[in-house]
Amino acid sequence: MSEPQKPFVPDQPTVSRKFWIALWLTCGVSVLLELFVHRHEHFAEIDSALASATNGFGFYFVLGFLACSGAILLAKGLGLFLKARENYYDDTP
Amino acid sequence: MTLLDTLPPGLLLILGAIALLLLPATARKAGAIALAALGFFAILQLDAGERLSPSFLGYDLTLLRVDATSKAFGYIFTLCAAAAFVFSWHEKRRAENTAALVYVGSALGVVFAGDMITWYVCWELMAIASTFLILARKTEKSLKAAQRYILVHLAGGLILLTGILLTIHQTGSIAFNAFPKDAIGSWFILVGILINAAAVPFSSWLPDAYPESTVMGGVILSAYTTKTAVYTLIRGFPGWEILVAVGCVMAIYGIIYALLENDMRRILAYSIINQVGFMVCGVGIGTELAIAGVVAHAFCHIIYKALLWMSAGAVLFRTGKSKCTELGGLYKTMPLTMILGTIGALSISGVPLTSGFVSKTLIVAAAEHQHYLWAWLVLEIASAGVFLHAGIKFPYFVFFNVDRGLRPKEAPKPMLIGMSLLAFLCICIGCHPAPLYDILPNSGAVESTTFSAIYVKHFANVVAMFQMLAFSALAFFVFLPWLKRTPTISIDFDWFYRKGAKLFYAAMDRSLNGLNQAADRCVIKTFLPALARFALQAPAVLTAVVLKPVWRAIDPDETRLAKRRDDLMTRFTTGTFPVAYSAACILIILTLLILIGRANA
Repeated sequence: MSEPQKPFVPDQPTVSRKFWIALWLTCGVSVLLELFVHRHEHFAEIDSALASATNGFGFYFVLGFLACSGAILLAKGLGLFLKARENYYDDTP
Repeated sequence: MTLLDTLPPGLLLILGAIALLLLPATARKAGAIALAALGFFAILQLDAGERLSPSFLGYDLTLLRVDATSKAFGYIFTLCAAAAFVFSWHEKRRAENTAALVYVGSALGVVFAGDMITWYVCWELMAIASTFLILARKTEKSLKAAQRYILVHLAGGLILLTGILLTIHQTGSIAFNAFPKDAIGSWFILVGILINAAAVPFSSWLPDAYPESTVMGGVILSAYTTKTAVYTLIRGFPGWEILVAVGCVMAIYGIIYALLENDMRRILAYSIINQVGFMVCGVGIGTELAIAGVVAHAFCHIIYKALLWMSAGAVLFRTGKSKCTELGGLYKTMPLTMILGTIGALSISGVPLTSGFVSKTLIVAAAEHQHYLWAWLVLEIASAGVFLHAGIKFPYFVFFNVDRGLRPKEAPKPMLIGMSLLAFLCICIGCHPAPLYDILPNSGAVESTTFSAIYVKHFANVVAMFQMLAFSALAFFVFLPWLKRTPTISIDFDWFYRKGAKLFYAAMDRSLNGLNQAADRCVIKTFLPALARFALQAPAVLTAVVLKPVWRAIDPDETRLAKRRDDLMTRFTTGTFPVAYSAACILIILTLLILIGRANA
């Protein structure tokens, strides 16, 4: 590259640390906010542990984290079987 | 407005597309934008009701059925087309603009069709026109992808046609309304529509074909085929519970495959399937709120998905690359594309203050009201997953991640203007959704319509969404090493007709040609020559056996006996007997016949 490179800010380790602090802070604030709001009750008519769990404290952040971790793990596992080299379909069987 | 009253908006665009072919490039491009805008205003003027009923094969067609649902789809179809034509101002090829206009026009034809014949004709025209948007890329890959695309859609079209014919035969009517569950024709129609909706397992045509299209083609394709399918599901199959399950599977499938993908436009293609899953699920729930939610979500989805395809298209246009393993660090030189693309990414994730938040929540709320606990849970999980693959993964791997030394120029101005229009709509609808809610069918079913009602009164919902998204982001960055991209493709259901068909061909080649060879060896090369030999030699051998005692009585010499025998064999194989022999044989046979006749008498 002939042009002088601008500093690539997010590449720097200090920024990376700040990013992680900001991410954890955002998560922390989102949890704290739940203390000050009253969610309407979901599925009051359904009598099951899952239905009552949807109304418990922290349901959404647990769901968000577990769903995404689960999706990543599932994709990783399925990747072992489903990933193929890019010219997979070009070859004769 | 008399002309626009008598001309269906779809036909306006199709006729306009043909007229534009005659114009020079700049006028043609301006004309395409003007046509889309004219279509929008024409739809705005349409009064509710059914009109334009020409007679065809003894049936009265309904070219124009206007109500809130068809108008809402009409608005967004023309709006998205206008933005896409602005975006693709750089495009010089004649075929692309024309194909896009015919495609949009035929999609409008489906949306305003009040009968099944008009619907079917427009549906097929849509498949043909859209194929040209893939072909226009002019690469070998796009040519093959277009072939597979059109074959899948023609097969889907035939299944739909079967259903339509069965339904017309059973009911005697061509009206396009909700179909009865107990008729076999309805199920054929459902499968035909679900193929276009990219429902699992008929889903793989979409991520196979769309990413091979041109920069503009991707933007246009992302909006119409799947959304007209959603529209027809709303018309024909509201409240069919099977669609709840189909939608949930689509929503999860889209996420998992998007996570596996390396190509940025293929990630977005899988994300379409995920989003259409929400809509199909909403149609399955089928309540007034659910249907309103489906239309709202289709409306918002078309905007932010086109925006995402535009930002990916701008990156492809500038760098010529679309794989995450080859992209990264583009925020430096394409900051505006990054910001606009990120707005699309936040909208699709349903971040508060964006359009996704005000539309997706309607479908989720409808699932809750109808006590679909599991469907509700899957939709919530899918909402988190959307943020993961489209909200973070797409912008992160394209614009951030590793600096690969790419220093492309910022996207051209027309592209930025097109993207800005849609980004503005994403935020505008997110902050002020009332105008969107007003044009929905069953708009009365939507309770919270103002900014304060959505974001202040129901602040708890905002907090819940905020929590879910924050922790989804946390999961993404915690597991980032596991999400490292690899230069691979993912095997999908298209394996069955891409690899499976080759294997089937090879298997048939081996088995049928093997059978053919075996038959050749056994019958042609062995049995038939043996039969020929037998036919030739058996009479000779038989005659020799009969004549041998006679010859021996005449002349007992063995050498001459052998010579007589060889002579007889030669005469038999060459068929050369003196006439006297034949006459003698005939005499003997006649004598025998007379004797037998006498004996019987």
